[in-house]
Amino acid sequence: MITLAAQRKLVNQIALAMSLMAMAFGLFWLIWILWTTLDLGLAGLSANLFTKMTPPPGASDGGLLNAIVGSTILVGSATLLGTPIGVFAGIYLAEFGQRTWLGSATRFINDLLLSAPSIVIGLFVYAIYVAQIGKFSALSGVVALALIVIPVVVRTTENMLKLVPNSLREAAYALGAPTWVVVMRVTLRASAAGVITGILLAVARIAGETAPLLFTALSNQFWSLNMNEPMANLPVTIFKFAMSPFKDWQELAWAGVFLITMGVLGLNILARVVFREKHKL
Amino acid sequence: MIEEKILPISEMTTVLKPQIQFRNFDFYYGKFHALKNINLEIYERKITSFIGPSGCGKSTLLRTINRMYDLYPEQYSTGELLLDGQNILARGVDLNSLRAKVGMVFQKPTPFPMSIYDNIAFGVKLHERLSRTDMEERVEWALKKAALWEEVKDKLQQSGMSLSGGQQQRLCIARGVAVKPEVLLLDEPTSALDPISTTRIEELIIELRKEFTIAIVTHNMQQAARISDYTAYMYLGEMIEFGESEQLFIKPKMKATEDYITGRFG
Repeated sequence: MITLAAQRKLVNQIALAMSLMAMAFGLFWLIWILWTTLDLGLAGLSANLFTKMTPPPGASDGGLLNAIVGSTILVGSATLLGTPIGVFAGIYLAEFGQRTWLGSATRFINDLLLSAPSIVIGLFVYAIYVAQIGKFSALSGVVALALIVIPVVVRTTENMLKLVPNSLREAAYALGAPTWVVVMRVTLRASAAGVITGILLAVARIAGETAPLLFTALSNQFWSLNMNEPMANLPVTIFKFAMSPFKDWQELAWAGVFLITMGVLGLNILARVVFREKHKL
Repeated sequence: MIEEKILPISEMTTVLKPQIQFRNFDFYYGKFHALKNINLEIYERKITSFIGPSGCGKSTLLRTINRMYDLYPEQYSTGELLLDGQNILARGVDLNSLRAKVGMVFQKPTPFPMSIYDNIAFGVKLHERLSRTDMEERVEWALKKAALWEEVKDKLQQSGMSLSGGQQQRLCIARGVAVKPEVLLLDEPTSALDPISTTRIEELIIELRKEFTIAIVTHNMQQAARISDYTAYMYLGEMIEFGESEQLFIKPKMKATEDYITGRFG
């Protein structure tokens, strides 16, 4: 006869053991992935990576400079384009259109966009932009990536604004503030850390997107800053190089994978730090 | 429009001027009839407190005076509510100017996520254009009115959220006062505070009466008796009794009021 207390303890231990095992399983793969990128990526890491262009097959002294710069331009522009739209739409959903049919419809469509596979977005931009103009371009890549940024930012902005207690809003209204002042100076400020976190996570999300770029910015063997021409970028370069039979290219692909992984990791850590610092206040 | 009466013996020398008048006033939360046929006058530069059990409508009543309920589309009112003789329920009333005249302090302190200085300047900037020095003077004036100046004068640029609960509540009072309203609405301003902070705020409220008309909702009957000139007892959305606090607490006219204040009910 076991006592109730002993039984409770046993059940508790079983539950704990199962949770630990699940965690260990997940962590195992994660660490393996990180280890592999580190192991294989480090071999390709050299100063050349940041100073030389992507090489032709067989050349051993190539780098990823044009792809790194290209990715930075594409991701940066897409964030600059998508963030204001996303933040303002999020503000509309949380502060103005909370109970309107337009708000509900927008929220529903945004959720659809949020879960749309990125290849769909790539093909969409291909059809309405690239196919019309008749050539691949950096600008079309920016549009595709921005379309991925927007729903993420809309979602986080709305959620973060909703976390602001209504009493704070009422306090601002009670002083005679019009809605836009309440939003801009009080609620957005109160949720700034969360909104910035959302933007950083959106950047992390698009940093490694390959599918939408394959149909838009494509890639470029050479240095190009022209937004109307194809532009080199890390994900497509990795895709191309990793599939190739050339050893130098494969090494560069792994180095690129390593760079992206570290970049995304850095952004995630930054996002956490920003969020925590602000919430200490 | 404004009727002035000369009342009562104890107030022989003072002219009582009703600043806020409810006339056949009803209020609804959707289908729920929350305030029933309220007729009431709140006098200028007096403290009027509202007491009654939870859910009796006293906070609801307070929130109609600055039309806070306009934020929620399903809430509405009928009848008349006059401020300085003007019906503030009428169409075309500018809510932002109304709220400049009628300030409000809430149950829980609600400092904005900005510096102490900016917390005070926020409301002022909405309604007036002041030079830097004038604004600094106004902030100091408001903080002095709220008896907070001495404690914060050296850290005006610190976050308003870094203050203690009692200080935060005085900051909120200062913020309301800074706009120079005519009326201050206080919705259970001390219920989240410790006794020492409560005493400070009560003293402050009595001091503020010299310049502002004050309406306060409180669950604490001793508080109502201590600080207010007039008291209204409400129950289930109705105004049961209204009178001078001294008279209402010592010799209420209604049996229901007596039951409530003696603790037999509520």
